Amino acid sequence: MVDKEHKIIAEDAPLFEHIWKTGKGFYITVSILAALVLWGVYAYVTQYLNGLTVTGLSRQIFWGVYITNFVFFIGISHAGTFISAVLRVLKAEWRRPISRLSELTTVFILMFGVGSVLIDLGRPDRMLYAIRYANFQSPLLWDVCSITMYLTVSSICLYLALIPDIALLRDLGGRREWFYRILSLGWTGAEEQHRRLEKAIGAMSILVIPVMITVHTVVSFVFAMTIQPLWHSAIFGPYFVVGAIFSGVASVIVVMAILRKAYHLESYIKPIHFNNIGIFLMAMTLLWFYFTFAENITIIYGNEPVHMAIFWSKISGKFAPLFWLHFTLCFVIPLPILAIKKYRTIRGTVIASISIVLGMWLERFVIIVPTLTRQRMPVEGAFYIPTWVEWSILAGCISLFMLLYALFTKLFPIVPVWEIREGREKAVTAVSDRIKSYLPEQGT
Amino acid sequence: MELSRRTLFKIAGLTLLGLSAKPGWKILSALDQPEPSPTPETLAKKKWGMAIELKKCWQDEGCKDCIDACHRIHNVPDLGTLKEEIKWIWTSPYDKVFPEHEFEVTEEDYQHKPVLLLCNQCDDPPCVRYCPTRATWKREDGIVMMDFHRCIGCRYCMAGCPYGSRSFNWRDPRPFIKKVNPEFPTRTRGVVEKCNFCVERLEQGLIPACVEACKEKALIFGNLKDQQSEIRRVLQNKVVYQRQPELGTKPKVFYIL
Amino acid sequence: MYDGKKIIPGLILFVGLVTSPLWYNAVSGKAGYVPKPELPADKKECIEPKAYIRINHKVLLEDWKESVVRNGVRIYKASNKKNYNMDLNRTCMSCHKDKTKFCDQCHNYAGVTNKCWDCHIYPTQVKEQKIK
Repeated sequence: MVDKEHKIIAEDAPLFEHIWKTGKGFYITVSILAALVLWGVYAYVTQYLNGLTVTGLSRQIFWGVYITNFVFFIGISHAGTFISAVLRVLKAEWRRPISRLSELTTVFILMFGVGSVLIDLGRPDRMLYAIRYANFQSPLLWDVCSITMYLTVSSICLYLALIPDIALLRDLGGRREWFYRILSLGWTGAEEQHRRLEKAIGAMSILVIPVMITVHTVVSFVFAMTIQPLWHSAIFGPYFVVGAIFSGVASVIVVMAILRKAYHLESYIKPIHFNNIGIFLMAMTLLWFYFTFAENITIIYGNEPVHMAIFWSKISGKFAPLFWLHFTLCFVIPLPILAIKKYRTIRGTVIASISIVLGMWLERFVIIVPTLTRQRMPVEGAFYIPTWVEWSILAGCISLFMLLYALFTKLFPIVPVWEIREGREKAVTAVSDRIKSYLPEQGT
Repeated sequence: MELSRRTLFKIAGLTLLGLSAKPGWKILSALDQPEPSPTPETLAKKKWGMAIELKKCWQDEGCKDCIDACHRIHNVPDLGTLKEEIKWIWTSPYDKVFPEHEFEVTEEDYQHKPVLLLCNQCDDPPCVRYCPTRATWKREDGIVMMDFHRCIGCRYCMAGCPYGSRSFNWRDPRPFIKKVNPEFPTRTRGVVEKCNFCVERLEQGLIPACVEACKEKALIFGNLKDQQSEIRRVLQNKVVYQRQPELGTKPKVFYIL
Repeated sequence: MYDGKKIIPGLILFVGLVTSPLWYNAVSGKAGYVPKPELPADKKECIEPKAYIRINHKVLLEDWKESVVRNGVRIYKASNKKNYNMDLNRTCMSCHKDKTKFCDQCHNYAGVTNKCWDCHIYPTQVKEQKIK
């Protein structure tokens, strides 16, 4: 029995330990998160009973924190697809330890993206009317379709890549053996099964990439398809996708760092991972800056009064503090950290990533709210200050996401064991052969 | 249990027959429904529009008869704050309503006079496109309708309207209605509302309440398709303004200076 | 059976709790309660036969809502060949004047809630100042 266990766990003991060993830190974390979730639920119940009057929203500015959360969470969901699917398709071997944790981020945070819209509805008891009486002319319906598709495909990707590890846990026996046995779908690890699985994962990975691009493009269309000043911009589609990948990858770095520290995965999630993602993140910082710059210079040069009124409110007016704060957080702080190799350590990339995640939330806010202050109509003077209900629900959503994530790590290994082993056993020779095939034949 | 193909087909056929009994009965019994009146054809013969003669409106300073009439008969609540106010018809200063009109060098005495604003009942309404449930739609006679039963309160129509004509019920409106009109329903919290060109009065052959209430007869309402109607007469041979016509919404509220 | 001494009394207690509404009603005499909606004194028949309308009035009113609001059609051709206005307040409530004495009697008994009166105002509501 012990031999069998040894054979299954072999040298990857740290990857399984977090499932069985629950330290004091875990209980404290879960308690705090649960308390925040309950507080968020209390805030929502207040809103459900009294109406949206408990928020800071008004007749003039009727979209605020909830819609910002919606765009922000959907944006973060692009992480998983990028790191797992894109890197898999590009045959980047260093994605192996981090593919599952990023896919998990995607699947779980998508639910909160959808949840944020439902929380924002005036009549949530009628939420299914959007499906029953669907009007496909509406970008919101396009959202419903693409996000549903994205959630489905990402969940399938996550589950498929999980199967061999579930089989390992099933073979280890114990109290939960029945649970793993059902989920493992009869996986034996045979060659044929591996081939089928690789094919399925490969197909899903290729499918999810265009879906990922569609999702945030369609989310941007909610704004871009209106004729409001500073929303009606052709750049919104690509801008939002870039912003999504940007914030998503940054949040994955944060998740990586936390898991690495909490579960002692230092030998698997290494500085090279942070370095590689850090370089990509630097590229995304510059790309994000390029889009921001292109958009703003177009606005300034056009000098249309309605557009400029909103523009100045962002640069030097009511929204100036938020605008410049977000710019600092998204560009000024991360770029030097990520660009200079000396600073691109684990700590450096994590600091840059936290800065980016906060900055990107503010970016969504600064896109949505200022336009609503100066629609093509007389300014009526209402100002938007979010109330405790909105902040509590935001905190509750993030806490519930972290809570669900933590509970997942108690059931399944967060670093894919079978992918690491595949890397050890097969990938080294496969990559070596691939490189040899690029070079001229020996002996010529 | 071994099932032969034949038996399977028999069972499937019977099941289909059984399942189609109720819907089939429903369809057959619905065949002799009364002719809808009005039909889309009769509605399409009209296109409602409103003309506002500003100089007549300005003769009575501080007058709010039209606003009071509308809000009274439609049970529009008075929430008292800029944050939560609900208004179907209201006024704003001229230079804010028509910001494109030049006043820097051509100062006029009407620059700050109040202009009456309401839903423009556009011919190409952006709000109708954005509603995910078709709770707002354009009727054949041109009125942009609201179905309060279906609205889920997402406020996308409010984001789409370039004129800011729509209001949202942030809380239960009933405690804030000064004097309830039992002839017209109230709304619940969580739905969007706006001027409906007094659809319920038009059905009874009456003109909208605001038009009737105006002492100066500054509001003219009628069928734009009828060449002989008063509104067509009033709009003829004049310079007529609309709010932001360059957006292509084709508003049906006209301002005559 | 194992732990029979714990299981059997527990089972009896559980069944007793679960069926408590039944025997409580029987014991306290409430089982015989039949809701008595107050019928209008002058009119003897509704727009449809009693049996039909008792079952279908919900669907009927929903159809009316669709028809009036979305299609602009107000005339209902009843099975007795008469035409009625599709209007909850002016048609139905013109006979069944008091909602609390008619509609609520059965609705409360059956535990049915409807949202119609969240917006629509029934005839006696204004008089009784029940709007706010």
